[in-house]
Amino acid sequence: MPAGEPVLSVRGLSACFRTDLGVVTAVDDVSFDLSAGETLAIVGESGCGKTVTSKSIMRLLPERNSFLSDQSRIIYHNRPRRRAAAKDRLPPGEIELAHADAPTMHHVRGARIAMIFQEPMTSLNPVFTIGWQLDEALKYHTDLSRRGRRRRAVEMLRLVEIANPEQRIHEYPHQLSGGMRQRVMIALALCCEPDVLIADEPTTALDVTIQAQILDLMAGLKARLGTAIMFITHNLGVVAQFADRVLVMYAGRVIESGPVRDIFHRPQHPYTRALLDSIPRAGNRHRGRPLATIEGIVPSLLNLPGGCKFADRCPRRRENCVEREPALEPGPDGRPVRCYYPHHEPRVAEPGGRT
Amino acid sequence: MWSFILRRLLVSIPVYLGIILIVMAALRVSDPVYAYLGKNATPETIVAKRAAMGLDEPFLVQYAKFVGRIATLNFGDETSPDPRQRYESWKYAGQSVGLKLRQAVGPSLSVTIPELMLTTTISVIIGMLCAYFRGTWFDRATMALVVMGMSVSVLVFIVLGQKLAGFSLKDAFGIDWFSPSGFEPWWERPFLAFPGDPAERLWGFIPVASPALAMWRYYCLLPVLIYVVVGVGYDTRFYRAVMVEETGRDHITTARAKGAGRAKIMFVHMLKNAMIPVITRVMISLPFLVAGSILLEYQFRIPGMGKLIIDAIRDKDFPIIQAFTAVFAAVFIVTNILTDVLYALVDPRVRLS
Amino acid sequence: MLTGLKRAWESRAARKFRRNRMAVAALAVIALYLAVGLWVLSVDGLKALGDSTGWWNVRSAPLVDALSTEQAGAVVGPLEEPGFGIKPRPEERLTAVKARLDDLGKAFRLRARGGEDREARIRAALAEINYGAVRVADRPVEELRAQWEAVKRQYDTIAESPNLDRDPAALPALRDLEAATAALFTEPGGVRGFLQDFRLSLGTDRQGRSIMVKAVYSIKVAIQIGLVVAIVATLLGALLGAAGAFFGGWVDYFVVWLYSTLSSLPDLVLLGVLVFMFTGSVFDDVNRPYLSLVPLYVAMCLTFWIGPCRIIRGEVLKIKELEYVQAATAIGFSRLYVLIRHALPNTLHLMFINFSLLFIAAIKNEVVLSFLGLGVKSGTSWGLMIQESTQQVINGFYWQIGAATAFMFVLVLAFNILSDALQDAFDPKHVG
Repeated sequence: MPAGEPVLSVRGLSACFRTDLGVVTAVDDVSFDLSAGETLAIVGESGCGKTVTSKSIMRLLPERNSFLSDQSRIIYHNRPRRRAAAKDRLPPGEIELAHADAPTMHHVRGARIAMIFQEPMTSLNPVFTIGWQLDEALKYHTDLSRRGRRRRAVEMLRLVEIANPEQRIHEYPHQLSGGMRQRVMIALALCCEPDVLIADEPTTALDVTIQAQILDLMAGLKARLGTAIMFITHNLGVVAQFADRVLVMYAGRVIESGPVRDIFHRPQHPYTRALLDSIPRAGNRHRGRPLATIEGIVPSLLNLPGGCKFADRCPRRRENCVEREPALEPGPDGRPVRCYYPHHEPRVAEPGGRT
Repeated sequence: MWSFILRRLLVSIPVYLGIILIVMAALRVSDPVYAYLGKNATPETIVAKRAAMGLDEPFLVQYAKFVGRIATLNFGDETSPDPRQRYESWKYAGQSVGLKLRQAVGPSLSVTIPELMLTTTISVIIGMLCAYFRGTWFDRATMALVVMGMSVSVLVFIVLGQKLAGFSLKDAFGIDWFSPSGFEPWWERPFLAFPGDPAERLWGFIPVASPALAMWRYYCLLPVLIYVVVGVGYDTRFYRAVMVEETGRDHITTARAKGAGRAKIMFVHMLKNAMIPVITRVMISLPFLVAGSILLEYQFRIPGMGKLIIDAIRDKDFPIIQAFTAVFAAVFIVTNILTDVLYALVDPRVRLS
Repeated sequence: MLTGLKRAWESRAARKFRRNRMAVAALAVIALYLAVGLWVLSVDGLKALGDSTGWWNVRSAPLVDALSTEQAGAVVGPLEEPGFGIKPRPEERLTAVKARLDDLGKAFRLRARGGEDREARIRAALAEINYGAVRVADRPVEELRAQWEAVKRQYDTIAESPNLDRDPAALPALRDLEAATAALFTEPGGVRGFLQDFRLSLGTDRQGRSIMVKAVYSIKVAIQIGLVVAIVATLLGALLGAAGAFFGGWVDYFVVWLYSTLSSLPDLVLLGVLVFMFTGSVFDDVNRPYLSLVPLYVAMCLTFWIGPCRIIRGEVLKIKELEYVQAATAIGFSRLYVLIRHALPNTLHLMFINFSLLFIAAIKNEVVLSFLGLGVKSGTSWGLMIQESTQQVINGFYWQIGAATAFMFVLVLAFNILSDALQDAFDPKHVG
């Protein structure tokens, strides 16, 4: 697939939850594009709607108590592409997923958009073998024979650098370590050659050394398979190393987006800047300074403030901030930002954090 | 696996001996002979009864002898001339305790095995549906019904079921499907028959009939159905809770992300995981299959284990009570070991060691 | 103490519980049952006190006396009469009339004997006749007798009809006959009349006792058994379980051995064996009915402590590993102090839930055991009522089983809702 063309377009995505205390909008009017072969990082604190966004795209939110707004559009651009023996049941062209029916979603999930999760320890079914679980996905989405699926499963395990794949496919998840299980999850997600891989904090639950291995693996696979990756994390170090573009979220809203270099060097939104300042760094320049933190906590989704959601934690807050919420509009840099008083100057001018 | 079973059996022996000790001591707190014969018995008859049962020996000797009986599975031989060897039931002179117990197994199992299978299947399915449609009117209505059913005494189901299906069905519609009470050993009849008379044919034309099953249906189906109605309530609640827990697991989300359909998730991914609590519950109730459903057997006059023990307690039939509890405890221990073996078969994380 | 209560009232679980309207309603129902149970218990107590000291005879206050052991056994009307003022079948109505006429006839046939003259004997016999508060009209014997003979003739003509149920033409005559019979008696008025209506509101059983009074009286039996068993078994189980888990070693080994031993018998068999244990003892004495429930209490407590014991043992094992408990032990508080001060209060909610569950189990088992003839021996209970009604049900008389079931249903349902709500309220996984 030619790089640069969008494979997934999200427009005005709003995800709501019904609770005892009324309807809560966890994700509000989120829009972005994901191009083929690109890595998009979604960054934000816990509870800012990253995971809900990713689960909405997969339509994995519980139907019992949640729904996507009528205006939400999740468009998957289905371009004919040669896949290994894929069962291609989806019509070419744009496919809307936000309100798609169950059969469409079954064909999209796993085959076109795949996902890996935060908890490798619990994300695999404990009572089936690794081989069975890989085989299941292949059975749904490819025309391969039993033997072909088996070969493909072994191949995928080898691809994610698991030693002895022929034996491993007969083992159960509890016989593998956390890092190994996450490799299996990646193999599971990539075995049907999806166009988009959503990785929801795939390394958070792992040891630091294993984290690096898994990230290297994903970077390598992306280069080899050309899969677009939507990478959800709160770890900005990972973002700098891994992502092409960044979407910063706060309280269920996109507050800033842009190429990774711009976000790091010229963050416009005070929140982005504060987030970057709170990364600990090595080097003499920073010795002796306390690590910068962001005061306060993310507002509860149950009673959001009326104006800018970041206002009560923001050092640049002025009166009109709390009156009306700013729109997501091009800032001084030309990149979209949701702020009345964005930063103009590059960040290198004030290392070490705000005063 | 065999070494595991053997080891577990060896470990259970002291527990079992303890159970026997407690039961035997409890049954001797008040003099069983005196309780059976009543106040008007002469001292001679009491002494004779005690001697016949061996109750005049020191407790530890009795204990040893009884453990010996269990070990050799010898609960009396009614043909023997020695009263000690005969080990008769007090109430039913001439019938050994072993004979009474053996006779009671068949009737009990004819009711309890179909009941357990039906109840478990139905309640697992309803539980799964409720968990799946959690929060909808179906779930709410089912759960409300279950709680209300649980609040009515089992006796009411039994008494009304007996009246409506055993009597009213016949009186009002002339349908004579269910016997209001009683039992005959249905397995002694032929399982297959080819009646020549068209009137005896199934639906008038299928020339195959089963007199054994027809008799089973006549005597046992109604108790089974009543038991199922009662049991489904309790079990559904339990299985729903199990399934609700399973729907929330991370690997279920993974399966959905793979593109698995609803049915596949429910019947493959969830069910195999949920088998562990299901097996526990079924295995726990297994020994009670042998004990029979005491109330049903009592009310429907089915001569099974449940009726045997209740009648024995009412008649103060000491030898039967003692032997029944001992046998039952043994069955209980054996099924506990079997449960662990079954776990290992279902859950790969469990290893027998 | 007060601040503790206040804190409990304001706790998250309590707030969540109060928001559950069903649970609050259930609690109100339980309180109502409890009040009725206590009422019956105190009336019985007052009566026993009055009988032995002559201080106050409860029987002189019919409204107070209405619900008591004695009243639950009193005959109040014809046999097996339906409730809600529904008329039975004409044949049965005729039988009821006949029974009353026969009672009078027996009195009128008396002859003079010994020193007593005939009229005095008849008068005494007539005074004896009563159906609850319905008594023979206070008129001269000869006048009554003439009236009775007239009614008897009226009865004989109707009785000639081969089957009254299939003969609607005979109905007006039957109605006249009933009115004429009623004229022989005085219907009570005022409070007594109200009580009579109350007693007949759910009909009568085979001995002509009031089903309503029996069912209400059984509340006392159920509450008594439920409270005693649930409290004792929960505390026993909690103590043994907590001790086993906290002290470990041979204490734990013994506790686990004890409950695995006892749980290897079905509840009903174990209860039966334990009830058997008491046969022939003081508790089995007909002359001491107040002791007859003791075997039931002991049997149920010895059976039911296992549930709370297991759960609380598991919880204390968990709590024992918590840092603050470990810290308290490390600082040097005695193990017993730590157990009582830190571990047990944290299992309090489990004890509540178990109490509620055991209450249900106790009531249900009382009913089953009484049905099997192993439970309540004196007075009545829902179980005895259901046992009595099995034969009635086969004959198509549902009032007794219906009343016992309805009264029991409301109480058990309330407890079921309560224990569900408690489990919900204390479940940390639930947010809200």
